Amino acid sequence: MGDETAEVRPARPERWIPGRAAKYRTVRGTAPVLILFLPPALLLFSIFVVLPIAEAARYSFFSWNGYNSPDNFVGLRNYLFLLRHAAFHTALINNLLVIAVSLVVQLPLALWLATLLADRIRGASIFRLIFFLPYVLAEIAAGLIWRFVYDGDYGLAGSIAGFFGLPAPYLLADPSTSMAAVLGVIVWKFFGFHMMLYIAGIQAIDRSLYDAAEIDGATRFQLFRFITLPLLGPTVRLSIFFAVIGSLQLFDLIMPMTRGGPSDSSQTIVTYLYSYGITRMRIGFGSAVGVTLFVICVVFAFTYRRTLMRHD
Amino acid sequence: MTDFAPKIRRSRLGWFLTYFALVLVAAIVLLPLVATALGGFKTLGELRTNPFGLPQHWEWSNYWSILSGPTYWRMLANSLIISGLTVFLALVVASMAAFCFAHVHFYGSGLLLNYFLVGLMFPAATAVLPLFIKIRDLGLLDTYMGVVLPQVAFALGMSILLLRNFFRGLPGELLEAAMVDGCGYMRFFWHVTLPLSKPILATVGIVQFVISWNNYLLPLILLNSDAKYPWPLGIMVYQGEFTTQWQLILAFITLTILPTIIVFLAAQKYIIAGLTAGALKG
Amino acid sequence: MTNRTFRRRGVAAAAFVAATTALVAGSALLPGPARADTTVKWLHLEQNPSIATYWAGIAKAYEAQHPGVKIEMQYLENEAYKAKLTTLLQSNDPPDIIYTWGGGVMQEQVKAGVLRDMTGMLDKSYADSFSSAAWNALNYEGKQWGIPMLVSQVGFFYNKELMAKGGVDPAAVKTWDDLLGAVKKLKAAGVTPIIAGGADKWPLHFYWSYLAIRLGGKQAFDDALAGKGDGFASDTFVKAGELFKQLVDLEPFQPGFLGATAPDAYGQFGDGKGAMEFMGNWLYTSQKTGSASGKGIADDNLGFLSFPTVPGGKGEPTDTLGGINGWLVTKKAPDAAIDFLKFFITLDHEREMAAQGFFIPVVKGADADMKNPIFRAVAANLAASKYHQLFYDQMLGPNVGRVVNDVSTNIAAGTISPKDAAQQVQDAWALEH
Repeated sequence: MGDETAEVRPARPERWIPGRAAKYRTVRGTAPVLILFLPPALLLFSIFVVLPIAEAARYSFFSWNGYNSPDNFVGLRNYLFLLRHAAFHTALINNLLVIAVSLVVQLPLALWLATLLADRIRGASIFRLIFFLPYVLAEIAAGLIWRFVYDGDYGLAGSIAGFFGLPAPYLLADPSTSMAAVLGVIVWKFFGFHMMLYIAGIQAIDRSLYDAAEIDGATRFQLFRFITLPLLGPTVRLSIFFAVIGSLQLFDLIMPMTRGGPSDSSQTIVTYLYSYGITRMRIGFGSAVGVTLFVICVVFAFTYRRTLMRHD
Repeated sequence: MTDFAPKIRRSRLGWFLTYFALVLVAAIVLLPLVATALGGFKTLGELRTNPFGLPQHWEWSNYWSILSGPTYWRMLANSLIISGLTVFLALVVASMAAFCFAHVHFYGSGLLLNYFLVGLMFPAATAVLPLFIKIRDLGLLDTYMGVVLPQVAFALGMSILLLRNFFRGLPGELLEAAMVDGCGYMRFFWHVTLPLSKPILATVGIVQFVISWNNYLLPLILLNSDAKYPWPLGIMVYQGEFTTQWQLILAFITLTILPTIIVFLAAQKYIIAGLTAGALKG
Repeated sequence: MTNRTFRRRGVAAAAFVAATTALVAGSALLPGPARADTTVKWLHLEQNPSIATYWAGIAKAYEAQHPGVKIEMQYLENEAYKAKLTTLLQSNDPPDIIYTWGGGVMQEQVKAGVLRDMTGMLDKSYADSFSSAAWNALNYEGKQWGIPMLVSQVGFFYNKELMAKGGVDPAAVKTWDDLLGAVKKLKAAGVTPIIAGGADKWPLHFYWSYLAIRLGGKQAFDDALAGKGDGFASDTFVKAGELFKQLVDLEPFQPGFLGATAPDAYGQFGDGKGAMEFMGNWLYTSQKTGSASGKGIADDNLGFLSFPTVPGGKGEPTDTLGGINGWLVTKKAPDAAIDFLKFFITLDHEREMAAQGFFIPVVKGADADMKNPIFRAVAANLAASKYHQLFYDQMLGPNVGRVVNDVSTNIAAGTISPKDAAQQVQDAWALEH
C-alpha cells in the first residue's frame, strides 16, 4: 500500500472487463479490499457448499460406511441400484405430485385469494396475516400438528369421522392415503407464501390500466383476465419456480408425519436420501442420491431460467 | 407494502360470498393451530371426547411441567445461539463480499458472483453426507460451530445477491465524493454503506434467522448430544419419548411455536416483507 | 503510516476481529468437560423410569467408591439411537459406554475401529460367571468387545380376557394354522387380534425371521450366510414371506398399525386395544410404562405363547429368536468405563434386577429370585433352546438388517411379493459380501 494519499486517478479501461462501462473510477486500495473482504465468503462457500458437492460426486462411486476412507470402488453400481429401486421411483413420483398439486391447486388458490386481498377491503390485512402464518411456522412443528390432526385415536380426523359414525381413519398409516394427506398439508403450509408473492405483483401493476378498463365497462373477470393475469406473468413464473424447488427439497414436513412411510409411500427424494443413505451411513449410496438430486435441481433451474424466465 | 384500491363494485351477495370464502379458508388455516393450543390444556381422555371445544377443566399442569423443566429452555437457548451466530456471521461475511461485487471493479467479478449464485440452485441436502464427513474431519461434529458454519455458507448465495443489489442502488456520487475526499473503500464500507443499508441488512438478517431457527436437517446430522439440540430436534425427541401422550406433545408444540408467532405478530410487516422480498429479489 | 490508512485497515481488521470473536465465542459457549478427573459418559436407551433409577443408583454407588470418577448418564430413545448410532460413533467426543444387540452391527463397529477391546481387563473368573452363550455373543475374532446384560425371547404376549372373549384357548395355539384360526375367531368376535408397531419396521421383521427359523432351522440361515444355493432368496425365506402373507391377508393388526411406532404399540397393547402382541419379553415392562394408566395389563391377565410351529419345517420347536444385549466401550473410553461395567453387571445386581422383573439376566444363577411367571417361562425356553438366533436386523449388519425390516414391512403393507422380498434381502447381502 505505497502512496497513502489515495488520490483519484483516471480509470485505465484496459484493466476492466472489456465492454463494461466503469461506473466508478478506480482508486488505490482495490487490492486490499479484495484481499480482506472476499476470502471469508469464498472460503466458507467453497469448503461447505462447493467442495462437498464435488466430494459427493467422487464418493458416489464407492461403497463406503463412513469409517476410515473409501476404498471399495464400485463404479456405477450405486446409480444402477438407485434407478432400479422401487422406493426411489415412488420418491420421484411423489415429488412430481407435489409439483402438480402446487400448480393445479395451490397456485390458483393463492392467486384467487391475492386478487381478493390486494384490494383495500375491510379486514384484508388480518386475512393476509392469517394466511401467511403457516408459512412462518417451522415445517417440523407444522408436521407434528398435522400428525395430531390426522391421528385416528386422539386427533381431529378421528373425532370428525366419529361424529359422522364412520370408523376412525388412519390417513398417514395407510400407504394408499399417506401421500394425499401430506399433499393437503403442503397446500395448507405454502399457499400463503405464494399469495403474498401475487399480492406484491398485483400491487406493482399500474392502477391507471384498471381505471381505463373500467371506464370502458370491463367486468371484474375481464379485468383479471386481460390485465392482472398477463401482467402477473413474471410473478407466476417465479412462484412456479419456488414451488418446484420447494418440492425438490421437501423433508422437514414429512419427517414428523410419516418419515416417508408407510412402506415408502410418502418418500420424497430427500427423505429417501435420509432413510437409505444417512441413517444407514451408506455414504457412497447417499452421495449418489445427492448427486442425482443436484443434477435435477441444476438442470431444472438452468432450463427454467433460460427459457420461461428469460425476460423476467 | 402499500395498499392500493381499484374501485371494486360487488353486489351485496358478491360481498357476502367473498367474505364467506375468506372466513372459511381462515378457519381451515387456524383450526389445527387452535386445536393444538387448546389440546395442551386437556387430558388425554378429553382429547377424544372433546377435540374442538374449550377444555372442560383447564389442565395447566401439561404446560407447567414443560415450563418448569430444563429441556424447553435449553433447546430455545440452543436455537438462539445457533441462529444468532449464523445471522451475525452471514451478515458480516456476505456484506463484505457484496460490497466488493457492488463497488469494486475487478477482473472476474461477474464470474465469481455467479459462483456464489450456484448455491441458490440446490438444497443443502444434496451434499449432506460429504458435509458430515468434512465436519467430522474438522473435529466440529457435535459443536454449535459445526452447524453454524455450513448454515452461513448456504446463506451466502441469497445474502450476497440481496446486499449487492441494494449496495449498487446507493447513489454512485456518494462513493465518488468519498473517494475524492480520500476516503478508502473500507472506510466507505464502514461509515457509508453499512449505515445506509440498515433496511436490507434487517431483511437479510430476518430471512436467515427464520431459516436457521427452523432448520432441522443439518443439526439432525451434525449434532449428537441433546444438550446442544435446537428446538426442532428437541421437539422430535420429546415426541419420540411421549408418543401417544398427545396432551403433553400438544402443549410442547404450542410452547415452541409461541415465540415464532409472537415475533411474527409483533414484526409482521418486516417479516412478511423480508420473506417475500428475499424470495422476489433472490 | 498515516492516520487514514490506519483507519482503513482498522475497519477491515474490525470486521475480521468480529468474525473471529464470533468463532471463539461460539466455541466458548460449548459446555466444557465436567470438573471430575474422569468422566464416563454412559448412553442408555432405558425408557422405564424404575430401571433407569436403579441404574442411576448403581452409578452413584460407584462414584462414592471411586472419588474422581463421574458417571454421566445420557438417554436416547431406541429409534433415535439406531438412526444416530453411526454418526454418533464418529464424533470426536462419543459416549464411552454404548448399548448393543451384538451381531453384525457390532462386528462392523469392530472393523471400523471405533470400539475398545476389553479382553485384557476381564479376568477369567468374571467371564465364567456368565452363561457362555451370552458372553460369547459379544466376542468377535477372539476378542471380548462388551459385557452382556440380558437375554430375551420373542413371542406372543396375550391378554387373557380378550382371548376368552374371542373364544380362543391360548394353550391350543400350537401351529401356524392354529394362530391363523385364532386370528379369525378374534376378528369374528370384534376383537383386534394383534397389535404391531409397523412404523418402526423391526417389530414386523420378527415374523419373517421366526418363520424362517421354523421352516429352515439353523442350517438355512448358515447356508444363506455362507452364500450357498440361492442364499436369502432360497425357498425357506420365500416361504417365510408367504406364510407371513397368509397372516397379513387376514388383516390381523390394529387399524393404523403401519403408522404406529413400537412404543405406540406397547401402549396400545397395555391399554387392552388388542388381544396379542408379538414382541420380545421386555414388552412385559414396556406395556406397563406405555399404557395410559401406567399400570398396563394385570399380571394375572397376561400370558405368553412361544412362536407356533410350522408343520414340515426343519427347525426345532425349541429354537428361539431373541437378543443378547449388553454394553460396549468405545475406542477412547477410559479404563474406568470398563471398570464401571464390571461393577454394574455382577451376580448381585443381575439377581436384583431379575427379581424386580426388569429382564432375564445372563449371569449364572442370577435368575434364582425371578418371580415373574412369564420371565420364568422364557428363561426355561432359552435354557432348552439349542439354537438361539439373534435378531436378523442386528445379526445381518446395519444395512442388510434394515432391508429385512423394509421388506417385512412391505409384505405387511401388501406392496411386495414374498419372492421379491427374499430376493431384495439376498441382493443386499450379495452387494456387501
